[in-house]
Amino acid sequence: MSVIGIDLGTTNSVVATVRDGQVVVVPAAHGGYLHPSVVSFSADGLKYFSREGVARRIIDPKNTVFSGKRLIGLSFQSKEVQRAISRLPYELREGNNEQAVFVGPDRTYTIPEVSGLLLGYLRQCAELYMGDTVTGAVITVPANFNDAQRRATIDAGRIAGLDVLRVLNEPTAAALAYGLGQNMSQRIAVYDFGGGTFDITVLQVEGDVFEVLATGGDSFLGGDDMDTTLLNILAELFRAEHGIDPRNEQTAHARLLIAAEQVKCHLSEYSEARGELKNIAIGSEGEQLALRFHIARNVFETAIRGLVGRTIATTQEVLSSIGLAASQIDEVIMVGGTTRVPLVRAEVERYFGRPPRTDLNPDEVVAWGASIQAENLAHAGESLASNAILLDVTPRALGIAVTGGFAERILDRNVPVPVEQTRVFTTSADNQSAVRIQVCQGESRRFEENVPLGELELSGIPPARRGEISIEVTFRVDTNGILRVRARDAATGAAREAAVNVRGGMSDIEVEEAVERQKSSDSGLLPELET
Amino acid sequence: MPPQTPEQLAQFVEQMYGKLDQLSYYDLLGLHSGATVPEIRAAFYRMSKDLHPDRYHRMQDREMRDCLETIYARMCEGYRVLTTPEKRATYARLLGEGKKRLAGTGRESRAPQSPEDSIKHEEAKKFFRLGMMSLGTKDFKGAAMSFNFAKSFEPNSAIIKQKLAEAQAGLAKPGGPAVK
Repeated sequence: MSVIGIDLGTTNSVVATVRDGQVVVVPAAHGGYLHPSVVSFSADGLKYFSREGVARRIIDPKNTVFSGKRLIGLSFQSKEVQRAISRLPYELREGNNEQAVFVGPDRTYTIPEVSGLLLGYLRQCAELYMGDTVTGAVITVPANFNDAQRRATIDAGRIAGLDVLRVLNEPTAAALAYGLGQNMSQRIAVYDFGGGTFDITVLQVEGDVFEVLATGGDSFLGGDDMDTTLLNILAELFRAEHGIDPRNEQTAHARLLIAAEQVKCHLSEYSEARGELKNIAIGSEGEQLALRFHIARNVFETAIRGLVGRTIATTQEVLSSIGLAASQIDEVIMVGGTTRVPLVRAEVERYFGRPPRTDLNPDEVVAWGASIQAENLAHAGESLASNAILLDVTPRALGIAVTGGFAERILDRNVPVPVEQTRVFTTSADNQSAVRIQVCQGESRRFEENVPLGELELSGIPPARRGEISIEVTFRVDTNGILRVRARDAATGAAREAAVNVRGGMSDIEVEEAVERQKSSDSGLLPELET
Repeated sequence: MPPQTPEQLAQFVEQMYGKLDQLSYYDLLGLHSGATVPEIRAAFYRMSKDLHPDRYHRMQDREMRDCLETIYARMCEGYRVLTTPEKRATYARLLGEGKKRLAGTGRESRAPQSPEDSIKHEEAKKFFRLGMMSLGTKDFKGAAMSFNFAKSFEPNSAIIKQKLAEAQAGLAKPGGPAVK
């Protein structure tokens, strides 16, 4: 029986475990340590992962889900999902409770189910490699993931048959991997630029204690956006030559996107990229049209400068929120594959006035930390566990809607967790028998400018004049960053509790059904590992 | 000194949990009121090493775990207040007035929304209110009637539809009143 740490990424995932006190990274099926975060579905119910899954992005783009992390825990109507729909080759539809669901060839799948299939595959990779069953896992998430995104990630883990010991913030995991056992006293910044998200986190490391001082980020900014930028450059080159926009055709679009990612990686090491993509489109005389390209690094850099600039602006904002200057950071840790892009490194170095640490593998460091924390939690209370203590914070302010369209803040951003706060409210009308507590996250004073998370209703309030009733609203955020809301009618002394109905989330029953489904189809997930 | 053994932990919870609201942040963290920021940080780190929820992650007793988390959450709150100069100054004033916590004591002047806020038509609002009162007393039949009236005045209101469905579900429940 083992536990693992999983860095569930937008583009790739990494799995690690601690064996005899050493971190071991689980190899991917086709070499290397990056497991593509792709699940491809076929009409007969088979699922394809790893390189097969990636190949099917071109062969069968409609049935191949990638970048699922950008969708998890978001409601169908959210602007992020709506924007994603226009760019993704696979179909999404609105399911129960405002969920976004993937329309597969055999049936529909909720996003946590898709991620659950991927996690199940990763678990099996680990089990095969380790020759042991895996029971529990720490799964990492971007520090700025909200409550719904964290819950959905836990659901995905449960569907994969994993006991999710913790959802851990990626930068905190990286800091743990960096600082554990070093007996240091340093203020560090973790600059985490992944496939789909950007996070910046400032930590104080004092021996075994890792205290997050502040965190911030952009959930919708990542290496994917650079790929899209390059895709557009390639598409324009093609259009200039042949007068046809290849983005309008699904297979061509998928191929260009994959080519764009390769060009990006190539330009991270070389000053130019040349190549030819055959059969991109068919010309007016039925001839096959190819795309020949030659892109210099500086062209690419000019195109992505704005994206990189956004990360620096976010970094600046987070540092100034705790009154620190860039020069007061002792060390900068780079995490995430996008930090391999030379312009990113250069801009980070320019901003902090010191070269960032690049000796830790930016792809693996998060999984390292996750596996260490998994081991700690599995052995809590025993001498086997390290003494590391992770003091994390809330990524966003949380509040509720009050009359007049305002949001009343209950928890601030960057507050140490666990945290519990109670506020006392009253009724707005005579004989009001119920209050509706709408929970939102964000800093704005106007409710509608924040992100709605869900709501709960406290009913059965006895008749009274407006303002006579006291309603206690308690917010509690645990070490997973998960919010629990209680509303209590204090006037009658009767405690009433209600769970927040999370918008866009799976119900418990739906999760249970998915767990059962996956259990019964667990075999045969790994055709390519049988050799 | 933070507790170490399970027995000490149980004793600690018993001692602290009930009187949490009578303890100042200084009491909780074992500090004197003139403590410096490094002293406060050191005390909080020391407490965290034994009381952070990760340390009792595998504890079976949920209730005990919940109590411990509440106590520790209050320590986190104290740590934050005492290491933020403006908050510490405000807290010093509150302590003088006999209060032990910085927030969560006073009552807000604003009210959360009422389910009826989104209803525009006055008559619909009136019947909706009646329906909500019936729903509160589990009079599903009366509730369904009122919500239907409300719906006749404002057919497109999502909240009326939702509440009507709730009342109808209550009616249909086995053991509930028979549906006519």
